[in-house]
Amino acid sequence: MKVGIPKSLLYYKYYLFIETFFRELGAEIVLSKDTNKEILNNGVSFCVDEACLPIKIFHGHVLDIKDKCDLIFIPRIMQLEKDEFICPKFCGLPEMVVNSIPDLPKVLKEPIYGYSKSKLRTWAFNTGKLITGNPVKIDRALKSAIEAQISVKSGKENGQYPIKVALAGHPYNIYDSFINMNLIKKLNKLGIGVITEVEVEKNLKTKQILSLYKRPFWTFSREIFGFSTYLAENYLIDGIVYVSSFGCGIDSVIIELIKNKIGEFPFLILKIDEETGEAGFDTRIEAFSDMLERRKVKIENNIS
Amino acid sequence: MKITFPNLGNARFAAKALFDDLSIEYVLPSPGNHKELELGASLSPEEICLPFKIMLGGFIESIEKGADTVLIPGSCGPCRFGEYCELQMNILKSLGHNIDFIVLDYPKSIGTNEFLDRIKKIKPGKGVSKKELINALRNAYKIINQIDNIDKKARHLTGFEINKGECKNILRDCKMEALALHGGKSMISLFKGYSKKLNKVIIDKNRNPLKIAIIGEIYNILEPFSNLYIEDKLMDYGVSSYKKLCPSWWVKNAALSPFKLNSLDIRLSSKEYLPYYIGGHGRECIGEAVMSAAQGFDGAIQIFPMGCMPEIVSKAILPTISQAKNFPIMSLIMDEMTGEAGYDTRIEAFIDLLERRKRRCVI
Repeated sequence: MKVGIPKSLLYYKYYLFIETFFRELGAEIVLSKDTNKEILNNGVSFCVDEACLPIKIFHGHVLDIKDKCDLIFIPRIMQLEKDEFICPKFCGLPEMVVNSIPDLPKVLKEPIYGYSKSKLRTWAFNTGKLITGNPVKIDRALKSAIEAQISVKSGKENGQYPIKVALAGHPYNIYDSFINMNLIKKLNKLGIGVITEVEVEKNLKTKQILSLYKRPFWTFSREIFGFSTYLAENYLIDGIVYVSSFGCGIDSVIIELIKNKIGEFPFLILKIDEETGEAGFDTRIEAFSDMLERRKVKIENNIS
Repeated sequence: MKITFPNLGNARFAAKALFDDLSIEYVLPSPGNHKELELGASLSPEEICLPFKIMLGGFIESIEKGADTVLIPGSCGPCRFGEYCELQMNILKSLGHNIDFIVLDYPKSIGTNEFLDRIKKIKPGKGVSKKELINALRNAYKIINQIDNIDKKARHLTGFEINKGECKNILRDCKMEALALHGGKSMISLFKGYSKKLNKVIIDKNRNPLKIAIIGEIYNILEPFSNLYIEDKLMDYGVSSYKKLCPSWWVKNAALSPFKLNSLDIRLSSKEYLPYYIGGHGRECIGEAVMSAAQGFDGAIQIFPMGCMPEIVSKAILPTISQAKNFPIMSLIMDEMTGEAGYDTRIEAFIDLLERRKRRCVI
C-alpha cells in the first residue's frame, strides 16, 4: 500500500509523527517533491482563487503525487491544544482539495484533535484500518509516532551572528525555503542570525499572552505573539521579521497585536503571494539589515 | 453610561426596544454609510475583513454622538470575529477615546462569574423591577421574530405583487416608523399592523417569479449596507429572495446549541459535502446551498467579505454542489473597494442567466 504525503503546511512541524506512523503501519510512503515552480503553478491553477499561498501550494503537492499512490493523506487538523483552534481552512482542507482536484485516489481525511491521547487514538484507528487490519500494530505505530514527535526540536538555531532577529510566522512559511525564497540563508548572508519560536519556553510565551484582554484562541497566534514579544521586551533580539502570506486572516490580527505591544521596536513584515518578486523582497531585507546595523552602532555609541 | 453596539440588520429593532424598556441610555448605531466605512478602513489593519471596518467606523460615529460604552458579542474562534474587541479597543484608545468595552463571550470560555460580572455592568435604569426586566426580554425576542417574519414575507411576495414596489415600500415604511417609536409594546403592535398590511398586498398567484437564496457569511448577509442592499436590489428586479440566516435564527441556534439540537436540517444536508463545523458559518452556507437546491430555488448567491477564512472553504465546495444539483451559484466578495456598478452588473447578469434557464424553450 502506497500512502502519499504532501510535503506542505504542517508537514514541516509534524513530519516525524506522520512519517513514523505510516512507516510503522507497514505502508510505503510517497513524498511529494520539495516545493518548486511547477508545484506552485499547478496549485494556483487548481485551487480556489481566494485562498492563501500555502493552501495553493498544498494543492500543487497533492497534484504532484496523486497518480503515484493508492491513498493520499490530507490532514484535517481541527485542534492542536484544548480550547484553541487553528485556521478554519485546515478544518476544511480535505473538502477544498477533493472539490478542486479531479481523479484523486482515496483520501485519508479523519479529523485530528492533537490535545488528547484518546482522541489521537480514535484518529489512528480510523486511519490505520485502511492500511492494516491489526489493531496492535496501529497502537504501536501511534506510540512510536508520538515518541518521535516529542523527541524532535524542529527549530533553526544559529546564534553566531552579530545581529539576531526573531523569525516569526506560520511554520509552513518559515521552513519552506521556496515559499520564503531562502529567507534564512539570505539573512545569514547579511550577518543576521534567526531565532524561531521553539527556542522560547512555553510558560514564557503564556506569560506574554496574559497581558492581552482577550486570550487569543489560535494556537499559532499564541506561539508567535508570545515568543516575539518576549524576545523583544527583554532585548534578546535586534528586530522581528514576520513572514506572512497575503490574505492570511490570522496574521492580520497577530501582526496588529505585536505592533501594539512592541511599539517602536524594528519590525519587518514580508508579505508573500504567488506574484512576489524576488528582487523587491531582497531589497526590503537588505534595507532592514542596514537599519538594524545602524541602530546597533548608535546604541553602542550611546552607551560608551 | 451610554451604550452603543454594532449594527446587525434587524437586530437593531430588538436592541432599541430592550434598551428603551429598561431605560438604559444608548446611541442607536447608524445603518452604515460610506463616510463611516472610509473612516473605519483608514484606521483598521489592512488585511482585516470588511465587518471590522464597518463596525469600527460605526463605533467612532456613535462615540461622537456621546456613547461611552461599546457592547459587542464575542466568540472564541476559529473565526476572526472573536479578536475584534481587542483590536478595536487598541485603536479607539490610540485615538484618545476612553471607551468601556463589554464583550459578551460564551460563559463556557470565560467562566460564568466573569460573564455575570460583565452583564452586571449593564445597569437598567432606576425603578425597573425584575418583572419588567423579564417582560422587556420577552418583548425583544418577540420583536426580533416579528420583524424577521415581515422581512421574509415582503421579500417573498415581491415576486408576486401586481403593483410593483408595493412590498418594498411597506417594508421601508415599517422600519422607519419602528425606529421612531419608544418601547417594546408599541413596536410589537406596529409590526402586527404591518404584518396584516402585507397580507393584503394584491398578488398574482399564477406568476412564477425567480427565487434566489442568499447564503454566505452572516454579517454580510444581515447588514444591508455591507452587501450594498442586495435584497432591495433583487426586489427592484421583481425577484423573490430568501435568506435563512437572520437574527431570530441566530438566537434560536445559540439557545439550542448546548443541547446539540441546533440546525438539524443544515447539518443533515451539509453532511455529504462538509461534515464538520469549521468555524464561522461555513457549514451553514453549504447546508443552505443544498437545501435551496432541493426546495426549488432557481439559484443562490453567496456573499462574503474578502479574506473570510470559513467562506473560502465553502467557495471551494460550492462548484461541486452546483454541478451535482444543476443549480447555479454565484459568489460575490465584498470589501471597501467594491464598486457598485460592477456589482450591479454581476447581479443582473446572474438574473438574466436564471431567467433564460427558467423560460427555456423545450420544444
